[in-house]
Amino acid sequence: MLEMKIEIQITPHSIEPGFGLAVEFSGVAGAVAEFSGVVRDQENGESIAAIEYEAFSPMAENEMRRILSSLAEIHPCLAAKVVHRVGIIPVGATAIQVVILARHRDPAFAMLAEFMNLLKKDVPIWKRLALPLHPSVATASPLVTSAQRQEHVPSLSEAIAEICSHVNPLDAVTTSWEQSAGRMLMETVCAPEDLPANDRSTRDGYGILLNDASTKFRVVDTLHAADWKPRELKSGEAVRVATGSTLPCENMRVIMQEDVQREGDQIKTGPLEEATNVRRRGEDISAGQPVLTAGTLLSAGELALLATVGCTRPKVSPRLRILHFTTGDEVVPPDQKPMPGQIRDSNSILIRGFLHNFPCDLWQQKLPEDFGLAKLAVGKIQARIQNADVVLVSGGASVGDKDFTRELLEVLGFQIIFRRVKLRPGAPLIFGTIGSRIAFGIPGNPLSHFVIWHGFVKIALARLTGAIPPTFSIGWLATALNNAECPRETLWPARCQISGGKLELTPLRWNSAGDLTCLATANALVRVPAGTADLPAGANIEFLSTAV
Amino acid sequence: MHILLFAQVKDAAGVAELDVRISGELTSSEVWNHIITARPELARFQKTTRLARNGEYADSQARFTDADEVALIPPVSGG
Repeated sequence: MLEMKIEIQITPHSIEPGFGLAVEFSGVAGAVAEFSGVVRDQENGESIAAIEYEAFSPMAENEMRRILSSLAEIHPCLAAKVVHRVGIIPVGATAIQVVILARHRDPAFAMLAEFMNLLKKDVPIWKRLALPLHPSVATASPLVTSAQRQEHVPSLSEAIAEICSHVNPLDAVTTSWEQSAGRMLMETVCAPEDLPANDRSTRDGYGILLNDASTKFRVVDTLHAADWKPRELKSGEAVRVATGSTLPCENMRVIMQEDVQREGDQIKTGPLEEATNVRRRGEDISAGQPVLTAGTLLSAGELALLATVGCTRPKVSPRLRILHFTTGDEVVPPDQKPMPGQIRDSNSILIRGFLHNFPCDLWQQKLPEDFGLAKLAVGKIQARIQNADVVLVSGGASVGDKDFTRELLEVLGFQIIFRRVKLRPGAPLIFGTIGSRIAFGIPGNPLSHFVIWHGFVKIALARLTGAIPPTFSIGWLATALNNAECPRETLWPARCQISGGKLELTPLRWNSAGDLTCLATANALVRVPAGTADLPAGANIEFLSTAV
Repeated sequence: MHILLFAQVKDAAGVAELDVRISGELTSSEVWNHIITARPELARFQKTTRLARNGEYADSQARFTDADEVALIPPVSGG
């Protein structure tokens, strides 16, 4: 029986109708059975706007493949394609689409129905949070209203969850592979043909038939590396080949030139070694097999692989447009000597440094401390602000008279999701959204910047580009951590190193949120639970790596 | 042993991944004992949550080593 062709995709993007499979099997398939699972406007009796789906993608893909392969033994079909969307899916949008092609309709219907039943039993995909239709007027619902939301100060985990639920991957762009370095691949790329495309020699020597027991051969042709000369070889015939030569037919082996004696157009061989010295067709990748999946970071090796399979214009995450405002009249440029009461601007350099190697266009601007003047300044760059995917504001996030970040973001149209977190340092963190665009108001101290960047902003940037957001790892404390008991959770700067196969964290001394020397040494942040006084050396702790 | 958490199990633990040091070969219930020691709040999921070993559901005969990647799979709801 012919093996069924299977294509599986798990994607954060909307599912487009129309499949290439029907074209590919045109004339052979007498039945095309198609099913779309669409998000309903009710979940557990509540009106909803969207549902979030989560998947353990590699296993989910394997499970779907396994289910389809086993069903194909009972219901012979030609091909099956499944696309499951993950992330936040609005009401009316397709969450899953399944297409089954068969010669006749009965096996196609049967496979479709049984596949959906087994998917709901075994494939590791989950419906998560349902997003309410009217969050601001929901009264009976346990979800908080926007007024309550303003009052509620989220914990670190709650704030991260809020960010993840509000930030979704931006639409993919198609670009040249030279422009793709450092971006996330947003499609699954399959090999268009077998690699290598034909059997190739891995040695300089003589190609003969695999099962030829002769000891004398007549050399009937000479092949160079770039030659393509298909021919049927007979017993007792050999072709001279070079390393990389395409062999003239299948079922051949290559005898190394060191192992033969040549006289004129004749060669003699002794007993043959076991190795066939041939790279078989499709040995590296067979046609149709995925070579890179969506969500892969494209660096040198991945780009070379794309080039090898001829994918010159991959679908990748867009280059983010990031706008960074600094505030504070006390801040002067680094090349200026600060007057009494002034400090040099380190936050601009910090943000620029964080984004080094991140594919984005960064625009930095200082805003006047007077709110009226600041509004005039942002009014002049309206278009730039409206085009920015991410707006960052350094300073002005507290509640002092001149701390206007929240009002400024509201003037710019952002809905404020939260304006504080139960965290030290970095408590006065503001997060807002407008459509797919996001804004952070970051408290002005450099250490707060460091903590907010690694704890929150990086997660949001990962979500926007379809990357997997960074998460906490587990390590051990090399020395005791002496915390003045704090009712807020703390992200404590630390130095992480591998020692005896363990990840060891040495907590660093820091006196205030402005401590720059500590920031320059830290490569990790240790999570100290709220209300903890001291943690002993050897304690098992969670930490966030800040090295990458 | 690297452990991946999903859906409600991830929410309960507050992390997406755990590392647990084990030695020798363990059965599923021994793996659960280690998980619950590290994260007692996950005990209530043991009855309903399946274990996957290196990307495949583990059957009752499965044995786990420190090199395995284990995923906790609570009841699924895709489609």
